[in-house]
This record gives sequence, C-alpha cells and structure tokens, in this order.
Amino acid sequence: MIDVSGVELGYGAQVVLSEVSFRSGKGEFLGIVGPNGSGKTTLLKAIARLLMPSHGVILLDGKETGAFSAIGLSRLVGLVPQASSPGFDYSVRDVVMMGRYPHIGMFGGETPADRDAAKKAMDVTGIAPLAERSVREISGGELQRVIIARALAQEPEVLLLDEATAHLDLGHQVSILQMIRDLSRRVAVIGVFHDLNHAAYFCDRIILIHDHRILAMGDPAGVLTEENIARVFGVRAIVRMNPLSGRLVISPVLHPSCEAVKDSRVHVICGGGEGAGILVALRDRGYRVTAGVLSLNDSDYLAAEALGIPCLTEPPFCPISEGSRRDLELLTGDADAIVVTRGPWGAGNIENLRVLSALDAGTIVIMGIASWDGMNWDYTGGEAEGILCSLREKGARVADDVPAALAAVREITGEKK
Amino acid sequence: MSWRRSGVILLLLACLLGASIVICTLVGPAGVPLLSLAGDESGATILYGVRLPRVISAVLVGAGLAAAGVVMQGLFRNSMADPYLLGTSAGGALGAATAIVLLGGAFSMPLAFAGCIGAAFLVYGISRRAGRVPVEQLLLTGIAVSMFLSAVLSFLMYIAGESLHQIFLWLMGGFWTASWQDAWTGLLVLPAAVPLLLLAREQDILSLGEEDALSLGVDIELLKKCLLVISSFVTAVAVSIAGSIGFIGLITPHIMRLWVGPGHRILLPSSMMAGGILLVLSDTLARTAGNEVPVGVVTAFFGAPFFVFLLRRRYAS
Repeated sequence: MIDVSGVELGYGAQVVLSEVSFRSGKGEFLGIVGPNGSGKTTLLKAIARLLMPSHGVILLDGKETGAFSAIGLSRLVGLVPQASSPGFDYSVRDVVMMGRYPHIGMFGGETPADRDAAKKAMDVTGIAPLAERSVREISGGELQRVIIARALAQEPEVLLLDEATAHLDLGHQVSILQMIRDLSRRVAVIGVFHDLNHAAYFCDRIILIHDHRILAMGDPAGVLTEENIARVFGVRAIVRMNPLSGRLVISPVLHPSCEAVKDSRVHVICGGGEGAGILVALRDRGYRVTAGVLSLNDSDYLAAEALGIPCLTEPPFCPISEGSRRDLELLTGDADAIVVTRGPWGAGNIENLRVLSALDAGTIVIMGIASWDGMNWDYTGGEAEGILCSLREKGARVADDVPAALAAVREITGEKK
Repeated sequence: MSWRRSGVILLLLACLLGASIVICTLVGPAGVPLLSLAGDESGATILYGVRLPRVISAVLVGAGLAAAGVVMQGLFRNSMADPYLLGTSAGGALGAATAIVLLGGAFSMPLAFAGCIGAAFLVYGISRRAGRVPVEQLLLTGIAVSMFLSAVLSFLMYIAGESLHQIFLWLMGGFWTASWQDAWTGLLVLPAAVPLLLLAREQDILSLGEEDALSLGVDIELLKKCLLVISSFVTAVAVSIAGSIGFIGLITPHIMRLWVGPGHRILLPSSMMAGGILLVLSDTLARTAGNEVPVGVVTAFFGAPFFVFLLRRRYAS
C-alpha cells in the first residue's frame, strides 16, 4: 500500500536522505529511528506530501502521491506532527472535528457519522472531559492527545506519527501506543521514535537511519543490535530480551569512561546482584577488574558483561568445576586486591570462598559484613561464615558500602606501590 | 459555541446595526426634526443626499475593513495582523496622491483602488517561490513594499506644491465627501464577503498551521491566494472610499473573537456588523462633537488605548 522507492529528499540543495526504499502496509506498525537531524521527520513529511522527493517515487495504493488531490490524499494519510501551536482559542472538540474535513469537504455539513468519529477519537485518547476547553489553555501532553485524536477522527488508511507520544506521561504513552498498535491491525502505521524501547516494544519492523541512508531494516532484534546502536548513536548499550514481554530492552551504558587506566587489578567475588555496584564503581575509577566465578544466569554476570569485565563463569545451576577453581586461583593469586561481596553462599559457589583461605588476607576487602546478622546468606551450614570470619581475624578489611570498599581498595593497592 | 447562541448574537448585532444607522442618520449639526420632515425639503436633502449615503458608506467600509482584518489575522495566525499588512494602505495613498498631483484630483478613487490592488499583487509576486507563498515572507515583503511606496509618496508630497493640502486630507481618511456613488461602491464589500463565508471551515483549519491544514486536505496555496485576492479587493474598496482608516480592521476581529470565539463562520459576519457599527458611530462622533475632524483621528484616539488595554489583559492572563 505504501511503496517508497529510490527516494531522495532534501531542502533546497541540501540532501537529507537518499536511496530510501521500503514498503509497508495494513497490519504493520513500522518504526523509524535514528539520531537527531537524520531525516526521520523529513521522511514522514514526504509520505504526507508536505515535501516532494527530488528523486524517486512514493506510491500509495499504486498511485503516486503527487497525483492525489489535497483532500483525496488526506482521506488516505493522517499525520500527527511533532508539535502543534493553534493560533486561536478553538475548543478541543472543534479541533478534533477538523480531522473530519477530508470527509466533510468544502461545502458539506457535519453528519452524525462525523460526530461519532470525533467522539470516538476523543474517548480513546481520553480527552473527552476536555471537549469544551480551549486548545491554548490545556497542557502540552493534552494538546498532543488532541492532535492524535484529530488524526484518528480522520480515519486514514496510513497513520504517520512523528514522536507522537514524546510529551505524554508514562500512563498515556503506554495506553496510546497500545491503542495505536491495536489500530495497526487495520491500518498502516509509521511512527518516528526517539525511545528505542518503545520502538522495540510496539513496532513490527524498524528502519534505522544513519548518515542520510537506511542502515538497517527489519524486526527489532535484527535492527536494534548493540553494534548498530553504537555505530548510529555513539553509545554503548545493552540489548536484552525482557522475559516478561518477550520484547527487547535497550539500556544505554551510563559509564562509558570505563577504560582501564590503572595498573592495579581488582578481582571481585560476588553473586546474587550484590556485586553490580562495586563492579561499576571500580570500573569507573579506572581499575582493571575481573570477576567470578559466576553462574551465567546471575544478574552480576550480566552487569559484568555489560561493563566489559572479564568473568569466570559456570553454566546455570552448576557448581564450580575443578577447571574454574584453578582459573580462579590463578586470577586471585595474581590480583592486587580482592573484593568479596555479601552472599548468598551455597553449595554451588562456596568454592569461591574456599580459594580465599590460601591467600594473604591483607589484600582482601569484605563488604557488607555488618548487615549480615540475621540475614539468610549462608546456606553452607556455617562454612562460609567461618571462612569470612577467619579472614577478618587474619587482617582482611571490612567495608559497609561501596565508598568504603573503594577506600579500602585504594589503601591496599597504594600500599603495594 | 452553539448555533442557538450564535444566532442570538448575530440577531442582536443586526438590531444594533439597524439602530445605529437610523440614529446616526438623524444626528447632525443641522437639526432635522423628524416629525416635520414631510414638508421640509432642505431637511430631506440633508437626510437623503448627505447623511444617509455617508452613513451607509461608513457602515460598508467598516464592515469591509473588519472582514479583511478577520481574514488577515486568520491567515497570519496572529491577532495583531491588520488589513494593511500587504502594503494596500501605502499603495492606495500613492494612487490617490498621483491622481491629485498629476490629474488635479480626477480619478483619485479608481487610482487609489488600483494602487491598493497593485501593492498587494506586488507583495504576493515577490513572496512567491516555486508556487508557494510562505506567510512570513508575505509579512516581511509587505513591510518592505509599504516603506518603499511611502517613500515615493513622500517624494510626491514634497513636489506637490499647492495640492499638498488635498493629499493630506486624503491621507487622514474620512467620509466628508461621501456621496451615493461611494455608498454604491461600498456595496461591493457584500458579494466579496460571500466566498469568505463559504471558506470559513478552511480558514479555521488554516489557523492551526499550514502543515496541519495541508495534511487535513486543505489546498492551502489555493486558499491563501483566494483569501489574499478577496481581502485585498475589500480593502481596496474601503481605502478608495475613505482613505486608510486605522484600527477598525485590527480591533473589531479582536473584540469579536473574545465574544463569539475564533470560528470564522460566526466571527466573520459578526465582525462585519460590529465593524460597521463602530465606524459609523466614530464618524458620527467626528462630524458632530468633533467638528468634522477626520474619522481616522477618532478611531485611533479610542482604538489605540483600547488596543493597549487588550494587550495588557492578554499578557496578564
């Protein structure tokens, strides 16, 4: 139904996008993502014929967009622009009703069908209570919903959304995108997104624009890869599958300055999500950091991997093997400092602590020991507690929180130098 | 705004307009007793030959300026826009001054008309790029063209010699020479308002913004062309009758928008009636209490402070 082929777009002599080709149609929610100024909005404008391509053609139902009359095109294509600024105090109802213009035409009058469509659009966007308010008195998010309602009242076959939910609160973002996703079973929806998570969650297919061209196109998992995100946005991100939704979750890594600049290496023995904080902090201070042994399904492993920290691992639910134990002995024996976080310790990972008994307690920092009392952290029948207590007696440092642990590490590595 | 309330407002304005016409015709320095009118020939001459055409001209010019003001404010999405933005007032003045200096005052009305239309077309032509006319471009070109035409006008006034006084009177604007011919010319405003009323819905949509209007199916370039042609025509009619009278085209739409809302279907007819009422009252004030001061002085004297009041109120809220 929408067939964009070989399109080049620009303003005057400046080319914004070139060699753009794709097809979309009824039943698909197509997302467009890319950095600021990459031409996402320009592409939407071209489909809505607010801008004519300098090369290539855009076909709607097999007919070139340029061949439609203004009103004929508006029955087919609805656009929710990025921002709207109504000049006068029209009521919310009036503005939504303007969405019916393509069906009413120049000399027609409003029919009950027009009023029904407008009412329905106001209901699903939750703006019915605002119907009599002036569009200049309502909030930015409310206005955005009014404009979405206007486009819905238009009952187009192609709905174009230019960051249509950017100003909405979380609840309305989700409910409106959900509603549009349901709508996309009957009409073609093309949306520009800045929020990659929204794009990944709601879109069937994603176009990633980079350097004036389509860099990748396809299902979210194929397009929103860590490599593509790093290349296009210049940001390291972790892309994971959310087990609850079965959709991708993209989290930018907020500590991009994690190049190891210090010579000292710190090994972290952690597990159960207790290690992420100290891993990030050590990496941030420029230490060379290693971790493990960790189970592959431990969230500390995910954190270490995301931070690019080398890690000894075991498959999920497996005890530490003889091989891993030897690797751990090598890693810890060679480390300048070792941080041990709060448990839990059990048959699967007690080997991590047993290794420590052979080491110089002066290089070890034990975290969170003060809050261990009364906690269920030792599932080894007292062995873990025994090891840690004896380490403490032999001179291991104790730190209650991340800053204290950092200070202890600084002391140890400073002493060594 | 319900249809019922709109109807009541329009009816009320129509009654006010009728009453204004009657009262303003009866009021004047030469007292004409209504009851003795039947046998008094000079009284009848004053009423039908002098006052009535003047009153009708003022009503129609006021209605025309208000209509053009509504259109321009909608087009520019700005309630500070007025009918003279496209250089029409400077063009009309230059046309009239040319007639006065070169032709001894003959054809000053058609030349003023031609000057208005010519200026508007010049502005439109300069602003046009690849079939599109961006409104910001129109606004800036209008200012530039107005300044240029005013410079030519100043030059004409400088070399005008004895006819300078005549040019001056024309520039101040007024109805003291209004005849039935002016009143008939003014009637042209009414047929011109019909397409404006038919395009009410499109004008509403256009005032959301051009791209919004385009994506809602309004052929905006055609619409802008129609609106500019009609509003220039209406303004030219008004200017050629009474010179450039200020503030009516600016303030009337402003006041009526506060009262009836921004919807053009009601805003346009109600502004036209209100513009007629305001201008005929101003003119009556000018020729009675004001000892024939130019009506432009009266509209500016009351209009400017009122405008400041509206502005302050707007920024207060």
